[in-house]
Amino acid sequence: MPTDERMVDPLLGFADALPAAAAADARGPAPMLHLLTFALDREEFGIPVTQVREVIRVNGITRVPQVPAHVRGVTNLRGRILAIVEIRTRLGLTEAVVTPASRIVVVEVRGRALGLLVDRVSQVTKVPAESVAPPPEEVVTAETDFLTGVARWDSRLIMLLDLDKVLLVN
Amino acid sequence: MKPGENPFGDLLQDYIVECLPLAEQVGDAFVELERRWRDGEPGEDLLASVKGRLHTIKGNSGMMGLTPARDVAHALEDACGFLGRAPESRGEGAAALLVAGGGLLVDLIGTASPDADGGPASDFVERVRKYLGLAPGAAAESDRRQGERRSRPRAGDGGAASNVVRIDFRRLDALLEVLGEGLIQHSALVDVYRRLMRRMGACEELGELDQAVLSLQKTLTRLESTLMETRLLPVSTVFGRFPRMVRDVAHAEGKKVRLEVTGGDTSLDKAVLDRLSEPLLHLLSNAVAHGLELPEDRVKAGKPPEGLLRLQAAAVSGRVAIRVSDDGRGLDEAAIRAKAEALGMDTRAADTAQLHGLVFVAGLSTADRVTTLSGRGMGLDVAADVIHALGGTIEVESRPGKGTAFTLSLPVTLAIVRSLIVEVDRERFAVPLSHVAETVRAEPEAIRQINNQGVTQWRGDLIHVADAGAVLGTREPSGAQRPFYVVMTAGAKRRGLLVDRLIGHQDIVVKGLDPALGRPAVVSGTTILGDGQVACILDVVRILDGAAHAN
Repeated sequence: MPTDERMVDPLLGFADALPAAAAADARGPAPMLHLLTFALDREEFGIPVTQVREVIRVNGITRVPQVPAHVRGVTNLRGRILAIVEIRTRLGLTEAVVTPASRIVVVEVRGRALGLLVDRVSQVTKVPAESVAPPPEEVVTAETDFLTGVARWDSRLIMLLDLDKVLLVN
Repeated sequence: MKPGENPFGDLLQDYIVECLPLAEQVGDAFVELERRWRDGEPGEDLLASVKGRLHTIKGNSGMMGLTPARDVAHALEDACGFLGRAPESRGEGAAALLVAGGGLLVDLIGTASPDADGGPASDFVERVRKYLGLAPGAAAESDRRQGERRSRPRAGDGGAASNVVRIDFRRLDALLEVLGEGLIQHSALVDVYRRLMRRMGACEELGELDQAVLSLQKTLTRLESTLMETRLLPVSTVFGRFPRMVRDVAHAEGKKVRLEVTGGDTSLDKAVLDRLSEPLLHLLSNAVAHGLELPEDRVKAGKPPEGLLRLQAAAVSGRVAIRVSDDGRGLDEAAIRAKAEALGMDTRAADTAQLHGLVFVAGLSTADRVTTLSGRGMGLDVAADVIHALGGTIEVESRPGKGTAFTLSLPVTLAIVRSLIVEVDRERFAVPLSHVAETVRAEPEAIRQINNQGVTQWRGDLIHVADAGAVLGTREPSGAQRPFYVVMTAGAKRRGLLVDRLIGHQDIVVKGLDPALGRPAVVSGTTILGDGQVACILDVVRILDGAAHAN
């Protein structure tokens, strides 16, 4: 099976899950989005906690020769090999420098795990669904293509990442 | 079961797993019967042996609602029953009918589907009915057999199988992963022991710890060998389908062939076996189509009209050797030379062995026509590539007029691979030892630069020596001359790889590449080293291929 298809398949599943989650939230009186938020440079990004399997410390990332540009390498996750996505370069930022605050966010898309290398992880944040607006058009950067929306809440600005697009190869 | 899965999926899989080998054994028995009847032997034992298998197939197919397979098995049962009591009817016609039915049965079971086209099956059933109707004494067959069958429990292989459990192969893979974790944890313990030893010096407790770690290692080694054994299958599981295929090619080519199979109980990891069947099939059909002569030509050459094709397997010093040999005309050196020169190669200086080696080069198959079977599959070059990718080797020997022999040497397993761990620019890589000919200290003056490529003298030959940092694209190339090179081999190709350190030999548990990593050309997989860090396993075959293309 071509690699690209295997890559696309679980991601399409993720795309399906989004509207479903939104619909479920809409039933309650005050629909809230549960987000895991993390920092890249000074910006705060969020992904639905339902997509997050765990957050781990960085304990050695092995580079693999000749991989796509946004793949940082692989790491040992309790005996399994986890591929690490360099999400910063994917969003047009410089390559991550691993510091003690760096974390790997292990996301799961239809049973398959991938690690996102991020600068810092905040805790899980609840955001009212109504605080989410479409990505502002005046902010035209490479990033906006990868956003499903922007949440303004509690004087924070959280950019909601479209994992589907971020993780899709090319 | 997960929602959305075919509710018959698992059952159907079980059915195929159980019945396909039975059908293949039946098919092989029919091919053998054909030969024996031609030689005037009765073959009673074979007729008797297929009955139980056919009966099992019939019952299981019926249960799965696979009517075509059930009916064909039933018809074959009838035909065998009749032939068992009517020796005078045994002969070419009867054998052809049985062989056709056996092949059909294998096809029907292999593609098991309730909506399969029943056309060929009902045609065959009709053929058998006609055959039995015309043959004297066949009418009473059905009734008599009915009574026999009721009194007899299920026959065949099922009865003796009480100690055998069928396991999904993926569970064995999962067990292997757990073992891999155990091996890693053991290495971590050894590491702690060494650090304690350095800090505290020898003491009684450390001695006990050493003993405990040692016994743990022994236990893990035993676990590893037991687990590897469970992954092994006799090569006969793949060889089983060859007699019928050889017979089909022989028929299509107008050849007479006797296939002799030995060493079918030699064991190989299922993962290796699965990938071996295509190349072997190619070698066999190639031998029939191109190696063996037509019966009349053989007689002219003073040979028996029937060609001898041998398929032999044997365990040889930790590896498995498989040999496909024929007593045919041998490789046509003049034709190989002509083809090679047509491709622009200079063969004037080539000796016999080098010429023979050219049959593994793409575009150099010496067959002038494409035959139905041998022309359809892979070429010899592709077969050789598959063998090399499995960490194996393939060699050819040939003598004009006497025959050709291909000898394969294969690792028993791919799951755990003994490897050399090397360090390049502070990154570590594993090189499978099956591809390592030698490690050499790289004296700076021994490596010369020719056309921007390092070249050195190794065992009397000039070989290329490449910098591992360049091949692997390391991030912090040191630029300095590295102190060692590893001579990597795959088939006839060889190349030196300059590295910084030779860390040591180690059994590594091979882990796959995540699809997100794409398909790196120089890496075949990953493994976890004793300190918990991941290392990439070099794909030596493709690195050497790349080198060949670059030249």
